[in-house]
Amino acid sequence: MENIHLFGVAIGLGMIVIGAGLGIGRFAAAAADGIARQPSASDKITGAINLPLFLLEGVAILAEVFAFLILIMAGPK
Amino acid sequence: MPELFAERVVMPIFALQEPIPAEGTAAAEGHFDAGKTIIEHVSNNLEHPIVHLPKIMGIDFSVTKHVLMLWLVAAFLVVVLTALVRRYLAQDRLVPSGLMNALEAVVEFVRDEIVRPNVGNKWVSTWAPLILTFFFFILIANMVGLVPIFEVLALLDRWVLHTGENSWLNHVIHGGSTATANFNVTAALATITFFSIIIAGTMAYGFTTHWKNLVPHGLAWPIYILLIPIEIMGMFVRPFALTMRLAANMTGGHIAILAILSLVFLFSEAFGHAMGIGVGAIAVPLASLVSLLELIVVFVQAYVFTLLTTVFIGMAIHVHH
Repeated sequence: MENIHLFGVAIGLGMIVIGAGLGIGRFAAAAADGIARQPSASDKITGAINLPLFLLEGVAILAEVFAFLILIMAGPK
Repeated sequence: MPELFAERVVMPIFALQEPIPAEGTAAAEGHFDAGKTIIEHVSNNLEHPIVHLPKIMGIDFSVTKHVLMLWLVAAFLVVVLTALVRRYLAQDRLVPSGLMNALEAVVEFVRDEIVRPNVGNKWVSTWAPLILTFFFFILIANMVGLVPIFEVLALLDRWVLHTGENSWLNHVIHGGSTATANFNVTAALATITFFSIIIAGTMAYGFTTHWKNLVPHGLAWPIYILLIPIEIMGMFVRPFALTMRLAANMTGGHIAILAILSLVFLFSEAFGHAMGIGVGAIAVPLASLVSLLELIVVFVQAYVFTLLTTVFIGMAIHVHH
């Protein structure tokens, strides 16, 4: 019971991956849809997707860093 | 278990002013400690600094591996880029050829696709040098971590030269060679971004107007009580995210490669050498593929840091709420 923070970290990391996967998947689907409807706009669509994609990836990595912090900072002394 | 992990993993990463405590626990001769080895290969070599300098006002100025890599990357960029451009400018007709062609393509890409759309035509020549410096520095600093120069040096030292424990060569080998995997380095870069945003707003609007532009005008006054702290927090969180994004991406890739290669040693220790060789036949190609993925991540992370810096600078110049 003293290592219950490990349980929390594991569940938290799984949820981070689910969140990032769902978000990036929706980006990819919307981008594919847009390019299918208008192939001539594919450059603009790719350019518009770039920034939010990496912001979302950054959020996921930030959350992983905090999970790692909990992993090594918490626990019985 | 968490105590050992905390003892051997926390100290190298977070207690950056103290060396790693001595190995007190039972580690038999030749026992492979995967966690310690992996962390040693990505973090800075604080207990074997290359040039040991005394502490000035509590700050340790010793030249460690990451400091050395920062200097090497900067020297490489200055020498190569100025030599290329000088040779190009000394021609009669300004026709680029060879490596100058590639350099011109990259510079035009950064200036026209990253800087100009975000900052506007008026400020391109003001901010393009800084953004180009960021891009090239982060790209080369990231890429140096993938080239196994220091591993080759370590092999040379182990099998050919046999220099002692305290030699200069031995001190250079310890530690990771990716300077941008250290979050202190990326924090320094993000601090430059932080001040660039303030300077950009000041140059475009004046000092007080820049701070007034943080929030949109013409709202009811109770909203400002909530909005101003949020905007101020946002001002600090964005460079912090830049820091952690670059550092975590670089560290994570290297840890993945090292973990796959550690499997070979773990299996050979538990099941015998034949098993180790068999696992090696799978692990080494897998590690090579992950290294290829790392190469993509290197380019993408340099591009993302540069793009986000430019977007934040552009937001200070073209305030649109």
